[in-house]
Amino acid sequence: MPPTASLAPQALDTGPARPLPSQARGKPAAAAASRNWQRNWQRESARAYGLGLAPALVVLAAITLLPLVTLVVVSLTPLSLTDPAATFHFEQPAGNYAQLLQDQRFVDSLWVQAKLSSVSVLLQLLVGLGLALLLHSSSRVVAGLRTFFLIPMVLPPIVVALVWKIIYTPDISPMHALLEQWGWPLRSLIANPDTALWAIVAADVWQWFPFTMLMVLAQLQMVPRDPVDAARIDGANRWQVFVYIVLPYLQRTLVVCALFRLIDSFKAFPLLYVLTNGGPGTVTEVTNFYGFIQAFNFSYWGYGSAIAVVMLAIIFVLSALVSRLGRAKGDAHAR
Amino acid sequence: MHAETWHHAAPALPVWQRAVQGAQRHLLSTAAVVVLMVVLLPFLWMVQMAFRPAGDALSLDLVFSPTLEAFAGLWQDNFARSFGNSLLVSVLSTGLSLLLGVPAAYALSRWRFKQRRQVALWVLCTRMAPPIAFTIPFFLAFRWLGLLDSVWGLVLVYLTFNLAIVIWMMQGFFEAIPTALEEAAWMDGCSIWSAFWHVTLPLTRPGLVATAVLCFIFSWSDFFFALILTRTQAVTAPVAIVNFLQYDGWEWTKIAAAGTLVMLPVLLFTVLVRKYLVHGLTAGGVKD
Repeated sequence: MPPTASLAPQALDTGPARPLPSQARGKPAAAAASRNWQRNWQRESARAYGLGLAPALVVLAAITLLPLVTLVVVSLTPLSLTDPAATFHFEQPAGNYAQLLQDQRFVDSLWVQAKLSSVSVLLQLLVGLGLALLLHSSSRVVAGLRTFFLIPMVLPPIVVALVWKIIYTPDISPMHALLEQWGWPLRSLIANPDTALWAIVAADVWQWFPFTMLMVLAQLQMVPRDPVDAARIDGANRWQVFVYIVLPYLQRTLVVCALFRLIDSFKAFPLLYVLTNGGPGTVTEVTNFYGFIQAFNFSYWGYGSAIAVVMLAIIFVLSALVSRLGRAKGDAHAR
Repeated sequence: MHAETWHHAAPALPVWQRAVQGAQRHLLSTAAVVVLMVVLLPFLWMVQMAFRPAGDALSLDLVFSPTLEAFAGLWQDNFARSFGNSLLVSVLSTGLSLLLGVPAAYALSRWRFKQRRQVALWVLCTRMAPPIAFTIPFFLAFRWLGLLDSVWGLVLVYLTFNLAIVIWMMQGFFEAIPTALEEAAWMDGCSIWSAFWHVTLPLTRPGLVATAVLCFIFSWSDFFFALILTRTQAVTAPVAIVNFLQYDGWEWTKIAAAGTLVMLPVLLFTVLVRKYLVHGLTAGGVKD
């Protein structure tokens, strides 16, 4: 839109082109004119704002709602690569879902997901909290180092996967080389079914602990000094101050962090794809990865969609929880 | 700017106690530095590998003469092309998201219409959905439309998360600007959108830059969508790296060099927006 076209130059000379309601107070005729003007202005502004909002909403609907509907529709069909045209039918709409319940590999993938998510989220909370406390209590110089702690989180996920591929590949890994020098040769962690999942967890914790750290650091700066000082004067030691005064202030932040990380842990992909590819066997195959394999390796799009729908449902419940806790957190601050 | 901590006890302590506290602080600082080194070691190891000669990749020897061999090798292997694809997709997607999202965010911040909350919620929800839920429908649609393996296809897909980030973040920045300034411009005869363009937008420039940078970082870092929706023509840098990994006999120094190149823009930009990083990452859940 040409910005200067609506800038009426004479309006600048003769004063306000549109009277404000407050200026028109007094005479009844002026008040009526003002009401009239207000109505017009409201209509005009609604039209202008609507014009600004509409394109984004149309595009967003096309790229989010449309795929969602497609996903659900496809999940009701046996659509696959073998016969793309003919399989678009709906004789057994719940067929994919019924099959999911009997699919041991799917049920296993949920279990792997649960193990991966719970352990890595817990460790991320602990490491993040510990480091936040360490950095918060240290000198200004160390405060300047905080930015460097963020590096794992901002690296492109594929680079994180690469970094850990190097650490976990015995031929090239400095970890394996050092352990061998010290007389503790180690088998490949990611090729061993007993350790593969925990190797992934370690990499995931490394990537995401800075998130918890950042959130906790921000919250720590809002802990009021008065109760802390009072407790110190009353003879509380550092541990007591932390447990009884600081921790309650952090509680909600920690819960919100945990839920965020939990939701994101359902999307873990590059680490799994590069490090283990779901293996050995299926010990690191999480639900997201299984859905990917069904849809894009085996080209069972209908079945893959059904898996995605189930994941969406789980994530929807978790998101509702986050937004409720988030709002409660805002209220707590307002008090 | 550094907030005082609860470890500083009440003022007027005896000298000896303050000395103890000073020593404790030094100890903590040292601990923090040590932890930082341990945390960054895996990442630094990859970076130093990128500068080693090919035959020396797995040496534990920390003293070596750095070489750009690996980077030159990448150039010959046409990595520049996927790097260029990444750049093109990220810039286009960021630009388009800003173009569509900024006016929408402004309207949402100023216009109190009835379904406002629902619209905001819908925008926020897109961040939570797992990418696999989008990729299957997009893959099927792109096959049909002939958009598989095209830069424009990726640009479109990246709008799903970038548009949500722009709307969510910019709405916050606009709400922080008092409306009095715009009203003054309206009084002078400005239309709503020219007041936005001349008065409000310049005031939110830092926020605009932060939002653009975050969009760029998110598009640049994507691996999942690019892996599924590209084949040969529109391959982005993260996918190219994985293709190298699967190619037998590829040298590790080159892989490390490719990783170093891919993370470089992200690291540079992160310094710019670290204040807003959490806002971008948590977009979708916590509303203030």
